[in-house]
Amino acid sequence: MRLRLPERLSLVDVILWGLRVGVVVFVVTGSFATLSQGLLGFDSWRSLVIVGLAQGAIYALIALGYTLVYGVLFMINFAHGEVFMAGTFTAFFAATALADAGILNANPFFGLAVILLVSMVTSMIVAVLLERIAYRPLRRAPRLVPLITAIGASLFLQYTVRSIYGSGVRSYPRIDILVGTWDIFGIPIQKTQAVVIVAAVLLMIGLYIFVQRTRTGRAMRAVSEDKDVAAMMGINVDRVIATTFAIGGLLAGAAGILYVFLFNVVSFSMGFLAGIKAFTAAVLGGIGNIVGAMLGGLFLGLLESVGPFLFLSGFGVPSTNQLRDVVAFTLLVLVLIFRPYGILGRKE
Amino acid sequence: MNEPTLGRFYLRALGLGALGAVVVIYLALIGMIDRFEARNIINGVLTLGVLAPALGVLIFAYRSTQPPKAWSFVPPAGHVIGAGLLAGGVAGLISAAFLFVNEAVALNAVLVNATPRMTDALTLGAGLPTGAALLVGAGLVVGLGAAALRLVPDRFRRPLVAALVAVLLLSLMEPFLRVVLLQLELPAIAHWLYEAGGLTLQGAIVTFIVVLAVRLAAEFRGNAVRERVDAMPAGQRRSLQIGALVAGLVILVLLPQIIGSFLSEVVGTVGLYVLMGLGLNIVVGYAGLLDLGYVAFFAIGAYATAILTSPVSALGSELAFWVAIPIVMLIAAVSGLIIGAPVLRLRGDYLAIVTLGIGEIVRILLLSDALRPWTGGAQGILQIPPPQLLDIEFFRPQNLYYPILAFAIAGTFVALSLANSRVGRAWNAMREDEDVAAATGINVTNYKLLAFSLGAVFGCIAGAFLAVKLGSIFPHNLNILVSITVLSLIILGGMGSIPGVIVGAFVLVGLPELLREFAEYRLLIYGAVLVMMMLWRPEGLIPSAQRRRELHESEDDEEQWDERVGAGTPPPVVEGT
Repeated sequence: MRLRLPERLSLVDVILWGLRVGVVVFVVTGSFATLSQGLLGFDSWRSLVIVGLAQGAIYALIALGYTLVYGVLFMINFAHGEVFMAGTFTAFFAATALADAGILNANPFFGLAVILLVSMVTSMIVAVLLERIAYRPLRRAPRLVPLITAIGASLFLQYTVRSIYGSGVRSYPRIDILVGTWDIFGIPIQKTQAVVIVAAVLLMIGLYIFVQRTRTGRAMRAVSEDKDVAAMMGINVDRVIATTFAIGGLLAGAAGILYVFLFNVVSFSMGFLAGIKAFTAAVLGGIGNIVGAMLGGLFLGLLESVGPFLFLSGFGVPSTNQLRDVVAFTLLVLVLIFRPYGILGRKE
Repeated sequence: MNEPTLGRFYLRALGLGALGAVVVIYLALIGMIDRFEARNIINGVLTLGVLAPALGVLIFAYRSTQPPKAWSFVPPAGHVIGAGLLAGGVAGLISAAFLFVNEAVALNAVLVNATPRMTDALTLGAGLPTGAALLVGAGLVVGLGAAALRLVPDRFRRPLVAALVAVLLLSLMEPFLRVVLLQLELPAIAHWLYEAGGLTLQGAIVTFIVVLAVRLAAEFRGNAVRERVDAMPAGQRRSLQIGALVAGLVILVLLPQIIGSFLSEVVGTVGLYVLMGLGLNIVVGYAGLLDLGYVAFFAIGAYATAILTSPVSALGSELAFWVAIPIVMLIAAVSGLIIGAPVLRLRGDYLAIVTLGIGEIVRILLLSDALRPWTGGAQGILQIPPPQLLDIEFFRPQNLYYPILAFAIAGTFVALSLANSRVGRAWNAMREDEDVAAATGINVTNYKLLAFSLGAVFGCIAGAFLAVKLGSIFPHNLNILVSITVLSLIILGGMGSIPGVIVGAFVLVGLPELLREFAEYRLLIYGAVLVMMMLWRPEGLIPSAQRRRELHESEDDEEQWDERVGAGTPPPVVEGT
């Protein structure tokens, strides 16, 4: 059979094919080299996987905010990372107050519930205000206009928090019941990681049921299909959009507390990276697709945790951990270039 | 006039007053009022710390004095004053209440700026019970001012506002203008006009009166100068334009000799951002591709220059700057092609995110140990020699200014001629509707690549100058914020507008360098600029005629963006770009 080339092979096609082949060759040879050198034992790989899954669960929760908003408005809410940050940072003060009063460790479930509530509610308020002030007036503007607004809002929120709460990195107080490990099927897992994964999965199931089964969820799906028809059916489109932002905010606030379980620190700039990565997860799963965002988040966390070592150390690259973010960003770039509709999405 | 409307009118004023208070409290909590107290606007009369919150309240009070058009209700003068007073008073009252709350519960544990200093700044040092009364009083005065401004007829209001803005601008330009006046051996004017970092009272009054008189004359007798220029024969007008251009060039050439080393440095930095702005303007403004990773080219230019010229780099070629520049430009064009080619088929918003990702990848790679042998990792590359031409070493800021100026002028010329060429028209067509452009025979991909590469060349030249300006280069100052700064200055000036780029660079890059009080809030202000411009004036301060038409074309069928908030009756989504 003859190999059929396109009639005109443009420079861009050549570069794209070069990129595809290059990435595949790089990943395969890198992984092969690393594995054949036997640099890490099975236990180390397993713990990298668990770390990755826990991290990925958090990305997934934030990614849901992007996906929900994209689903109804077709805009990238670039400031969603800041929504996540604002809640987490605010809850820090609740956490220290509770810890100082001795409540956090005397009555940990109550304490954690309060912290979670503060974080979720703050994030929700920020998200709803953002929509009302910055996005709603631009609903009919050309596509890049709301995106630029969102970038501006992201910067504004970041530096507002910096000016109001201070620029330092703050450490959350220690939560005693989350210290240590559990043995699950003979595998030792840090309690924090287990809690993060379970909580994230529960929240995601909750959201799925909400969107599929409740009246508001149905209204959200209707608005996402067609705003005009939804409005004609008597759905208050503005309220549904505000609700969507609110839910995204609630999930981001919850993700913030889970993030703190893993990393313990908050700062005004923490939202940027987390936001970009969550967006990557959302696109990876097919933006607008809720299940996709969950899977995308888990996959990204896994790849980011295992990837740098697996692909790079075989080539003798030093300190691969510095390149974690490069792996995430490269994935973002590659997904957007080659499969912008995501793994679960369909071609437009 | 029926009572319910009047009630709603006052209720609205109440709400707007509360929003004014939110602005005041926000400014206090981010510490802006305290820091701005240090900047005199009119010495002994007004500081920026007083003006900033007052302006915030003024805007809301002014809005409160006129009901929305849909109400079809025109309040009589008495009620205009009433609404202004109510809004201003409420703003003052809530701000004062906030101060009492702060004293009672010590918000300082959470909000770092909620200190006694903040109370002092907000009450002008009067302390609490007295200060609260002061705040309410100030609110009432501002509200009255807003009502007065509303009641003045249009043809008086415009000159009045212009005169007030002129006083403010002249005062904010103090760090620059005072040095210029002193260097021009005009100390008498400098001392008469400026004092303690602000205008003197007499300087402010005279400026106000002069500008007011000129603008009033223009309102009542028409703009005589403009009319005479318009009436000139074409040849004469042309020579007038050339004359103005030459005069401008002479001023630009003499500038560093007049303003001294520090200000030359500042103007040099502005020049770098003008270069980058011109480049990104080609990509964003002309071709309509939102590139958030523009810093990548800046970084590539800086590092390429450093590696080619520095004696301590791995390459060890130690080329002269002028030999390196063409090579850097070539590298730039090629990197523009390589980065551009894979991303150009993407939709607008995805393109933005992908380029953002590429910018970050470049930065992290520069920082990483993996590339340390070439880029020096976090330590960067040192000992980058300054450019040399014959015997002149462009080392001092006053000298380095000239090559930057030359490139900026050349860049302006290139950008201007591109805009009016076949290429520029192709970009326009592409930006407005890609499919139609392709159908008329424009090779969209090639034109996008061309825009990307040209933008890359501008960015790389700016990067090369950054390298020689600093004499060393580190990955830390090459982050996403550079991209956002350049984007902000384009948005402020107006997408696709070259004068807009220059003005935007001076306002957003030059001003914070001069006014230390602003430096702290630079990025906060950039964010606010992006949001506010998009909400209220998406075409920018100095819009290109075309862009304005595009952004407002959809407003023919609808009233205005902000009027279209009403519960979901959306026609199909307008998809530009």
